[in-house]
Amino acid sequence: MDTILAKDVMASTRRAFLSRLVSVGGIAVASAVFGRGFDLPVGGALDAGAPQLARYPEKKDLILLTDRPPQLETPLEYFRTDLTPNDAFFVRWHLSGIPTTIDLKTFRLEVSGHVAKPLSLSLSDLQAKFEPVSIVALNQCSGNFRGWFDPRVPGGQWGAGAMGNARWKGVRLKDVLDAAAVQPGAVQVGFRGLDEPALKSTPPFQKSLELDHARDGEVMIAYEMNGEPLPMLNGFPVRLVVPGWYATYWVKSLSAITVLDQPLKTFWMDKAYRIPDNPQANEEPEHLSSVTVPINVMAVHSIFVRPAPQQQLRTGQSYQLEGVATDGGSGIRRVELSQDGGKSWNDATLGNDLGKYSWRRWTAEWKPPAKGTYRLMVRATTNSGETQAVSQWNRSGYQRDVIEHVDVVVV
Amino acid sequence: MYRWKAAVVVAAILVAACLALRAQQSSSAASQGPAKGSMEQTHSIQLPDNAGEILPGPHMDTYSKDCLICHSARYVSMQPGFSKEVWQSEVKKMVNAYGAAIPESDQVLIVEYLVAVRGPQRAGSAATPAK
Repeated sequence: MDTILAKDVMASTRRAFLSRLVSVGGIAVASAVFGRGFDLPVGGALDAGAPQLARYPEKKDLILLTDRPPQLETPLEYFRTDLTPNDAFFVRWHLSGIPTTIDLKTFRLEVSGHVAKPLSLSLSDLQAKFEPVSIVALNQCSGNFRGWFDPRVPGGQWGAGAMGNARWKGVRLKDVLDAAAVQPGAVQVGFRGLDEPALKSTPPFQKSLELDHARDGEVMIAYEMNGEPLPMLNGFPVRLVVPGWYATYWVKSLSAITVLDQPLKTFWMDKAYRIPDNPQANEEPEHLSSVTVPINVMAVHSIFVRPAPQQQLRTGQSYQLEGVATDGGSGIRRVELSQDGGKSWNDATLGNDLGKYSWRRWTAEWKPPAKGTYRLMVRATTNSGETQAVSQWNRSGYQRDVIEHVDVVVV
Repeated sequence: MYRWKAAVVVAAILVAACLALRAQQSSSAASQGPAKGSMEQTHSIQLPDNAGEILPGPHMDTYSKDCLICHSARYVSMQPGFSKEVWQSEVKKMVNAYGAAIPESDQVLIVEYLVAVRGPQRAGSAATPAK
C-alpha cells in the first residue's frame, strides 16, 4: 500500500519515516522515493544495533547510553502503566561526580541568599515541619527523542525513554521559601544539587526559576516517588519537581536553594538548554535562530508504545494499539490515529486522568483490513487546543513535538 | 553524701537521655511512614563498571588523556557520524563552556580522532551539519 502517499505527508514524516523504517517493503519505498539506501535506523541506542542493557543499583535492566556520568533510558515496555516504576525510571546526570552515598544525619538542604531567615533542613525537618503534598507529574528530559532528529544532532542519543510518569510527594517550595522569609527585591531562586564536576573549571550544575514560578505552590521539593524514597540515581534524598517543565529544572539530590536579587548567571541557563525563541522550537540547519530562550514548558507530543517497530500483525485479527500523550500542564483532550499516513484520523480512547501534569495513556482497537505495510500515525491535542507539529528541527534536539508514526507489516 | 547525690543526678540524666532518644527514634520512624528506605541513616550505592570500548583510531591516546577525565568513551561511541565542523565545535564547547584544559595542538588531534571514528561517512550521519 502506502507507496503513493500525498507529497506533503511524505515530506512531513520523512525524517521519522527514514529513521524508523522496519519492513522490507519500507526499505524499497525509501529507496524509490528518496534515492537513499537503507543507511539508518537511528535513534537511541539503536545506532549500534540492538540496544545494550545494563543493570544499575535500584534499577531493572535499562538501555545504557553512557556510564560516566550515567544516562539510562527506559525501555518502552515500561510505558504500559499509568505510573512508571521507580526501578525502570530513566537516569540522566550531567557531571561525573554523582552522589552515591548520602548520610541523612549530615545531609542538609540549605536555604539562603536574599532571605531574612536562612534555613538548614534535614530530611526529617522537611517531613515534619511542612505540610506534605502530592502530585502526579511527567518528568521528561529536554532531549528526549534527540536520536529521532534529522539531520542528526550531537548529544545524548535518546530514543523515547527519557521520560517517566510518577506520583511525587514532598513539600511546597513556596512553604519553604516562606519559612525562610524572602526579602523584597528577590527576582529568582537558584538550585544546586550534590553532583560535582571532575574539574574545578567546569561550571557546577545549577538552574534557576523566576521567583513567581518558584512560589506558585506547585513546584515541590519531593522526598517520595511512587510511595517510596527516591532511588539514588533519581536524586535521593530530595529533588525539585517542576510540574509541566522539562526535567533539566528538576534538580536532583537538591542541596542548596539560593534566593537571588539578580538573575542567575551560569552556563546551564545562559548557554545550555536553550531553544529557538518560537513556539515549536524550530530552526533550519543553515539558518540557526539568533534569539534563544531557556527551555521551559513541555510541548505536546504522543507516541506509540504498541506496536513496536518491526512488529508483524495478522490480518483480520483485532490488535490493541496503545501509547502515551504528554504535554506541559494543559492536559490532553484528544488523541487521534491514522492508518493511512495521515489522510484520515480517528479518535483513540483516553486512559485514566491522573491530573493535568500527568501523561495520558491512550488505546485503540485496530483490525488491519488487508495485508500490506501500514503507516500508523498518532497526534495529540491539549485542553488549550495545542496540537503537534508536522515537522521540527533544532540544533540541540530539544522539545520534540513532531507527529510520530510506526510502520507495521500485516501478514 | 555529695557523691551519692551526684550519682543519682547522673543516673537520672542517663535515663532521661535514653527515653528522649527512644521517643525521637519512634517519632522519626512514624513521620517517615511508608518511606522505609529513608529510615536508614546512610544510603549507598555502588556504580557498576560499564566503561565500554575506546573506539580505536588515530590519536586515541590524546583523546583518552584529555577527554576521558570528565566523561567516559561512550559519550563518543553513542554518537552517529558528524562532520569535521560539528566535531570542531564540540571540542571547542568542551574547552570554552566546560572548562576542559586541552591545548590547541591536542584539540586538532582530537578532532582528527573523532572524524576518524564518528565522521560523516558513518551510517546514520547528519546529512547537513548543525553548527
